[in-house]
Amino acid sequence: MLKFLKQVGGYAKETLQSARYIGQGLSVTFDHMSRRPITVQYPYEKLIPSERFRGRIHFEFDKCISCEVCVRVCPINLPVVDWEFNKALKKKQLKHYSIDFGVCIFCANCVEYCPTNCLSVTEEYELSTFDRHELNYDNVAMGRLPYKVTEDPMVTPIREFAYLPEKVLAGHDAPSNVARAGQRPEEIVAATPKQQEEKETEAP
Amino acid sequence: MNPGIDLQQRFVETLMGYGLSPGAAKAVWLPLPLLLMLIGATVGVLVAVWLERKISAAAQQRIGPEFIGPLGILAPVADGIKLVFKEDIVPANSDPWLFLLGPVIVVIPVFLSYLIVPFGQNLMITDLGIGIFLWIALSSIVPIGLLMSGYASNNKYALIGGLRAAAQSISYEIPLALAVLAVVMMSNSLSTVDIVNQQSGYGILGWNLWRQPAGLLLFWISALAECERMPFDLPEAEEEIVAGYQTEYAGMKFALFYLGSYVNLVLSALLVSVLYLGGWDFPIPLDLLAGLLHISPDNSVLQIVTGGLGIVMTLLKAYFFVFIAILLRWTVPRVRIDQLLDLGWKFLLPIGLVNLLMTAGLKLALPFAFGG
Repeated sequence: MLKFLKQVGGYAKETLQSARYIGQGLSVTFDHMSRRPITVQYPYEKLIPSERFRGRIHFEFDKCISCEVCVRVCPINLPVVDWEFNKALKKKQLKHYSIDFGVCIFCANCVEYCPTNCLSVTEEYELSTFDRHELNYDNVAMGRLPYKVTEDPMVTPIREFAYLPEKVLAGHDAPSNVARAGQRPEEIVAATPKQQEEKETEAP
Repeated sequence: MNPGIDLQQRFVETLMGYGLSPGAAKAVWLPLPLLLMLIGATVGVLVAVWLERKISAAAQQRIGPEFIGPLGILAPVADGIKLVFKEDIVPANSDPWLFLLGPVIVVIPVFLSYLIVPFGQNLMITDLGIGIFLWIALSSIVPIGLLMSGYASNNKYALIGGLRAAAQSISYEIPLALAVLAVVMMSNSLSTVDIVNQQSGYGILGWNLWRQPAGLLLFWISALAECERMPFDLPEAEEEIVAGYQTEYAGMKFALFYLGSYVNLVLSALLVSVLYLGGWDFPIPLDLLAGLLHISPDNSVLQIVTGGLGIVMTLLKAYFFVFIAILLRWTVPRVRIDQLLDLGWKFLLPIGLVNLLMTAGLKLALPFAFGG
């Protein structure tokens, strides 16, 4: 009899415990209901791409020396460099340059290895088209600069988590005039030459 | 107890004033409450669907439907219109008649159960003597329809879903009936009106909530299982069996299942409010309030206000439970089939029996408080 009562008591205890856990869970979901939505209302609000964002590649035609390094470092030899040797100038002359962004994996190896810096990554990521062949950008299309999210009057720019001021957790809550936490790149750059000078004076 | 407004009597009297015979006047009245209840149930479903989407979104820190009408109110309407215009597909080698009958058998009993839902003393379709028993009887027809559609679909997942639905409904019917039985025993009647009247008179203190706390929990858990809501949505568990018995359904037949499940949810919530939260009863006894303000109980303005307040109170209580069901959906993970049957047979059933026995004992010991 005592054993049975003990069993019943243990069972009741477990039941109460599980009921308490369900109550705790309910309070968590209830608490989340009063929080601000973290979703970005995309066509009206857009996240500002981060500093190292690798978007569509920009190309400067006049800087290119047709060395084809970009083709060699590309994992799938994607860039098409169409050049002709100009005998009078004794130089390679670029006729067309194109990258198919429907195939590109945006690794930005070409940008990294370009000897003349004629390639660069932009923050453009809205590359949807009705036909995949439209993504085959030629040198003219790649020479265009993307529209910045912060300059579009139709769009509310929202900062990503890493670019928020200290103790602000949601992009919607951050006032646009408050700088992010920590040093900005230009501040780091402004601080570096000094150190170099110091090193130079130390060296001799 | 003041009977409140009797719309039927007023309506019939008005028509008789225009020279209609009493029989004809009553015949004109008859379809009106039915139609009103059908529309009310459908609108209730639309509201429940909208709430489901909005509350789910809020619990996940999203916004939810926003552009379809103000605050996305028209989203469920758009859902419905889409389903109406979708192609009706009958799978190959299925049984077309059973395939059609399945959703029909699921939906009709649920709508029929609205017969006994009271929104006021006379604001219901019929005050049946067997009231709440009718609902229990009708709700046990539903698993037959589910089994039928699962079998007729010629699909393994649908069959498993149908079998699970049947097993679940049968095992949770019993604790549900036991919980109802305890309430019925206290009010000495199966009629929903009598059940509410037994609770009213003392405001919030008189509600069955205080006398049947275990019964309330029991009823709500069983009702959730009957409605196949999370955490008991095994028959349509997406991760395991696609959509259970709904897998092969499309268009209007799927819409019937969808409608049926939400009507059932709203109905269960309404019945919880009727059985345990005093139905249309206001938290403060209105008769007392009217007496304090020296308003006669025959005052027509008071009667209209009381009637309106009754409807609002019933709906508020019901939608509070719908809200809890939605919140539970995002809180509790789905139970396994063995856990489900364990909970039903080894936990809810004994507790229901003990609750019933306790109620019987208390009814004998304290007849003034437990309706002797």
